Amino acid sequence: MNAVVQASGLGKQYRRTWALRDCTLAIPEGHVAGLVGPNGAGKTTLLRLAAGILTPTRGTITVLGQHPGAGPAQLARVGFVAQDTPTYSRMTVADHLRLGAWLNPGWDNHLARQRISQLALNPKQRAGSLSGGQRAQLALTLALAKRPGLLILDEPVASLDPLARREFLQGLMEAVAGQGLSVLLSSHLVADLERVCDYLVVLVASRVRVAGEVSDLLASHHRLSGPRRDPGILPAGQEIITESHTDKQSNLLVRTDEPVLDPAWAVKPVSLEDLVLAYMSQAADDRPASPQRLKVAS
Amino acid sequence: MIRLSMLQLRAQAITAAVALIAFAVLLAATGPHLASLYAASGLRDCQPASCGQRANSFLQQVNAASPYGTVYLLSIILIALTPAITGLFWGAPLLARELETGTFALAWSQSVTRARWLAVKLTVGGLAAMAVTEALSLLFAWWAAPLARAGALGGSGSSLALNQFNPLAFVTHGITPLGYAAFAFTLGVTAGALIRRTVPAMAVTLAIFAALQIAMPLWIRPNLFPASHTTVAITFNSDTLNIYTTHSPHTFTFTLATDDGLAGQPEAWIRSSGAADAAGHPVSSVVPSACSPAASSSGPGPALANCLASRGIRLAVAYQPASRYWPLQCAETGIYLVLSFALAGYCFWRISRLS
Repeated sequence: MNAVVQASGLGKQYRRTWALRDCTLAIPEGHVAGLVGPNGAGKTTLLRLAAGILTPTRGTITVLGQHPGAGPAQLARVGFVAQDTPTYSRMTVADHLRLGAWLNPGWDNHLARQRISQLALNPKQRAGSLSGGQRAQLALTLALAKRPGLLILDEPVASLDPLARREFLQGLMEAVAGQGLSVLLSSHLVADLERVCDYLVVLVASRVRVAGEVSDLLASHHRLSGPRRDPGILPAGQEIITESHTDKQSNLLVRTDEPVLDPAWAVKPVSLEDLVLAYMSQAADDRPASPQRLKVAS
Repeated sequence: MIRLSMLQLRAQAITAAVALIAFAVLLAATGPHLASLYAASGLRDCQPASCGQRANSFLQQVNAASPYGTVYLLSIILIALTPAITGLFWGAPLLARELETGTFALAWSQSVTRARWLAVKLTVGGLAAMAVTEALSLLFAWWAAPLARAGALGGSGSSLALNQFNPLAFVTHGITPLGYAAFAFTLGVTAGALIRRTVPAMAVTLAIFAALQIAMPLWIRPNLFPASHTTVAITFNSDTLNIYTTHSPHTFTFTLATDDGLAGQPEAWIRSSGAADAAGHPVSSVVPSACSPAASSSGPGPALANCLASRGIRLAVAYQPASRYWPLQCAETGIYLVLSFALAGYCFWRISRLS
C-alpha cells in the first residue's frame, strides 16, 4: 500500500501549546479521504504540515513519499486549499489564473479556463467581491489546475451555504474523477464527507481513533440492542465503541469483522454519522490503542 | 514570480508613477526660469573676488521670486519622506497582509519555494523603492543645480542653498536616498514578519525609521570620520568670522559663525569652534583683562582682536572638509545597505519557520 500521507509521532508546538502531538497515521493512495474530528483535534495543523505550510516540531511526515515543501517539485505535487479559501481580494479572477500559470510549471490553463467559464465567473471581477462559494471555487480551480498528485482541502465548505456546499463538492468530485488524484479534506460535518469520501480518518486530540475505507467501516460496525447485560461477556473479536444502559436494556456500538450471531441482540447497521460520533465521544483514555498508535520517544 | 510581484505592486507603482510625474511637471515648469535667473546673474563666469557677493544677490533674488522657496523646501521634505512612505506602504504590508488575510497559504502552496517568493518580492519592491527615491532626488538635483552652484560659490547660508552637510540636504542628495529607501523597505517587511499585522507594523516601521533619521545626523554621521582641525585668526571685520555671544561685559565667547562657514571652504561641515590659546588648548571664554581697558571695555572690535591676536589666541575649528562629502555618503549608504541585508536575512529565517 502506497501512502499519500504518512505521519509518525508528528507534533507541532506553538510557543507552549501543542496544536498536534504524537500523531501517527497513514492514508493510502487513490482515495478521497475525509479527516473528521472535533475542533482542536489538530486537523488544520495536520493538513498544513502535509501541505508544507508548517514544519513539524517533532516526528516526521511524508507526502507522496517526500517531505512536504521540500522544494518546487514537491510543492507542485500537492494542491492546497486553506481554511476559509483565502484569495487576494484586490486581484481579479483572471489575475489569480495568471498567478497560477506563472508559479506552476505544470499549470493546466485549459482546465482552469474551462472551470472558470463553467462556474460563470467573470474574469474581470475582483476576488474580494466574489461570494464565499465563488471564492472557494476559485481557490479550488487554482489548486486543481496545477495538476497535483494530492489535493488537500481544509474545511473547504465550512462557511458555505448548503447549495454552494453541494456545488463545490460536486465540482470536486468531477475533477477527481477526471484527474485521478488523491484527495484529503477535512470537515467537522460528516454529512459533507459522506457525500464525497471513500476513506475516513477520525482524529481526536491528535490521535487517530479509527481509519479505513468507508464501506469497510460501515460493514464492520453494528448497533446492538437487547436486554440489559454485562458488556464484558461479549465474544472475542467484538469491540465495544460506545455503550449505554437503561434498567432493562443495553445499547452497544461494536466493531467486529465477524457476523453477530447472538440472537438476544437486535442488530442494526450504523450510519457514518453515528459511527463518527461514537468514536469522537469516546473518552480519551478509554481505548488502549488505536491500530496505528505508536510509542515515540520524546 | 517576478511577474507576480510586479502585478501585486501595480497599485503602488501607479501611485508612485503619478507622484513622480507630478513632481517632474512641477520642477519642469519652474526649473527653466530658475536657470535663466542664474544665467542672468553672471555667476557662470564670475571673478573669484566677486563671486560670493553675486551668489548672495542671486539667492536673494530667487528667494524673493515667489514659488522657489516653497518648491525647494517641499521637494527636500518629500524626498526625505519618500523612503518612510515606501517602507510603510510597500514594505510593511508585504508579509503582514499575507499573514493577516491568510493568503500566505495560497502563495506558499504554489510550485515556488517561499524563500524564492520572498527573494523576488524583496528584490522587486526594494529596487522599486530605491528607484523612486533616487529618481526624485536626481530630478530635484537637476532643478536646484543653479542654487547649489551659487551655494558653492560662497552664497551659502541662504535657506535656498543648504550646506551639503545639512541633515536634510545630506539625506536627499547623492546616493544616501538609495540607502534610506532600501533600509526603510526591509525594515517595513521585517516589522510585518514579526508583528504579522499591517497597521501596527506600519506604526513600528515609522517609529524606528524616524528615530534612526534623527540619530544619524546627531550621533552617528559626525563620528564616521575623524574631524579635521584648523585655527583661524579672530578678526572682527572679516566676512567669515563673528563674535557669537558676549557674556558679562568683559567676557567673550567666540565661535565661528556657522552661517558663513570657513574662509575658502564654503562647503565644509563645521563641527565645533571655540577660542584656543597659542598652545592649542581650548579657552572656554576669554577675559581680555590683560588687554588695555579701552580695548576690553569698547566691546568686540579691532582693538580687542589685536590684543587677542598678540596673545596668540585664535579660533580653533573642527570640521569635515568638503572632500569628505562622498566618503561620508558612501559610508552612510553602506551602513544602511548592510542593515537592509541583515534585515532581509532575518526575514528569510523568519518565514522559514513562520505560522
